[in-house]
Amino acid sequence: MKNKYLNLNDIYLKDERFRISYFFSLEKLALSLKKIGLIYPPLVSFRNNHFILVSGWKRVLACSQISLSSIPVFVVEEEDELKTFLIAFYENLATREFSLLDKAEILRKLKEFGEAKRNILEFYMPLLNIPQTLSHLDMFATFSQFEPELKKFIHEKHIPFASLEMLAEFNSSERRLLLPLLLPLGQNKQKEILENLREISLKNDIPAEKVLKSAEILEIVDSEKLSPLQKANKIRLLLKRKRFPHLYSWKEAFDSFLKKACWPEDIAINHSPFFEDEDVTVHFNFKNEKEFKSHLLKLQEVASKKEFSRLFKLFSDD
Amino acid sequence: MIESDYTPQKIFIERNSLDFALTKRIIKNTSRVPKEIIDNPHELIEDLKVTRNAIQEGKKYLLLTKQRGEFVKPCPCTPHYIGCNYFIINLELNCPLDCSYCILQHYLSNPLITVHVNLKDLWRELDIFCNKNRKRAFRIGTGELGDSLALDHMTEISKDLISYFRGKRNVYFELKTKTTNIRNVLNQEPADNIVISWSLNSSKMALELERGAPEVEERVYAARRVLEKGFRVGFHFDPLIRYPGWEQDYEELIKMLMKTIEPGRIAWMSLGSLRFPPLLKSIIKKRFPKTKIFYDEFIKGKDGKFRYFKPLRIELYKEIISFIKKNGGSDVPLYFCMESEALWREVMRWVPKGKKEVERSLFLPFE
Repeated sequence: MKNKYLNLNDIYLKDERFRISYFFSLEKLALSLKKIGLIYPPLVSFRNNHFILVSGWKRVLACSQISLSSIPVFVVEEEDELKTFLIAFYENLATREFSLLDKAEILRKLKEFGEAKRNILEFYMPLLNIPQTLSHLDMFATFSQFEPELKKFIHEKHIPFASLEMLAEFNSSERRLLLPLLLPLGQNKQKEILENLREISLKNDIPAEKVLKSAEILEIVDSEKLSPLQKANKIRLLLKRKRFPHLYSWKEAFDSFLKKACWPEDIAINHSPFFEDEDVTVHFNFKNEKEFKSHLLKLQEVASKKEFSRLFKLFSDD
Repeated sequence: MIESDYTPQKIFIERNSLDFALTKRIIKNTSRVPKEIIDNPHELIEDLKVTRNAIQEGKKYLLLTKQRGEFVKPCPCTPHYIGCNYFIINLELNCPLDCSYCILQHYLSNPLITVHVNLKDLWRELDIFCNKNRKRAFRIGTGELGDSLALDHMTEISKDLISYFRGKRNVYFELKTKTTNIRNVLNQEPADNIVISWSLNSSKMALELERGAPEVEERVYAARRVLEKGFRVGFHFDPLIRYPGWEQDYEELIKMLMKTIEPGRIAWMSLGSLRFPPLLKSIIKKRFPKTKIFYDEFIKGKDGKFRYFKPLRIELYKEIISFIKKNGGSDVPLYFCMESEALWREVMRWVPKGKKEVERSLFLPFE
């Protein structure tokens, strides 16, 4: 490799054939460059009358951001595409953790540059901490085809593999509709939306797009009174109710019982998870005998109401 | 039809398993099947695991090896639900049938159909086990980690097992199958403590979900032949599945069954609704993407497995039991596989005090 100084304009950044990562924040690196300069020169290669980047995208973009005009580079003289890509791969492998999207890009490029499938499976996938199965290879190939705005969201929100797998089950126009619903939510709620939507669609043989464009969802989406977070949560609950209608009717019956029986607010009452057991638990806190007796009185009062016996009918067919 | 058409593409024989009588018998019964002697099945298993569909690939091959652990174990059942005190004999692992709901897809780390050939160790272990439990009645069977009869045309193990258990009056030995591979059973002298049982489902579910298994009617006719020979028979409605029209389909199945089989000769019937650990769902979604049965209302049960929301299970069981009773099966011993106290109370109107009481309730008609 030869060491050389290049004008930043002489690096043809439109050629991204060896690029692995597309999303990074440049602020800290730009600050570091301002303070101490560029210590590790990026790698470039001369292809089709241009210098193109092999490795060091973040460094070059940060240099450009702080308006450096020329930078030191190493010129890779290797002509073989796969071997050149492997230089970029190993340089990155040694210095940072790859994101799921980086891994998807690496696997895609290894395949494109002609690496044998067996080698990808047996050698590169373990290096990337990916289980050595063809179905994982297929799945990562799908991730690499995600739309750029979705990739940005995945990067920013650190979306885990399981959710990416679910996203891969939707087509690109469905993913576009989903994106604003997922953006304001945490990972568990995102997963809930994806899973319930997918299963409603599969169970009823309706495309997910049609579910997302149903009148009740569009009404929420178009509402001007609701924030993006409120919209996402409303739609999440709506999907949950559609997915589990019986469970929700039981939950509503339980809540309605509490309302009708005027259940005291400072005494918690819970049914067993998913009503799987007949047990109901009651919980209250007290600081002294007076508070304890007051809670007991409230419970006694509730128990004496005729609505109280309805609670037990909820759990039985008798 | 009383045959199985399953033939493995190849039989792998672990070198240290070559000299066993069962190995020699299987080799004799599969003369046209290529064989390969191997030193280490793990390499083979690892190779299979990187294929796109290791579970299906594994069904193409038979592995003859030694059981290195224990043959006889209590059925693992599931925590927090009532079991039935069943014991299992781990003679075979995996099965040539390919039922989409099969728990083995998740449960077994070895996708190969495997036969443990060191039968002498099995008999020794069974002698000790039966002697230890000689003062009580118990049930034991081979159909937990594989189908009891699916490989019987190659292994003929049913003959050995029936001979072994015949005369052991406190032991109820069960061969559990979905096949009609009963030729060897029919060639055996029956005994009252030998129960040949079938897993049944509605014709629609059997057709859609039980790839490679004979039609349900064929299974019931096989049961009738076994019954006519003098054996007791059992039936397992497991997994019971809800889908549009399930009520009519299961009623039809039960009508047909009770018309064909004399209820008095039915040793027991078990009922279990569809349940599955979370990981199985992702396996099934990949292997059987068109299967819709997992998109009903499943909740996470106390054991971490998904099962139908309780009122749906109650409805399912009550209907099935009413079909059984309506069709002459009022006295057939019934039990649930892996159900809760609440559900026993609601549906059966009694709650066993534990798995031993479930077991005892099944023996009453024999005693």
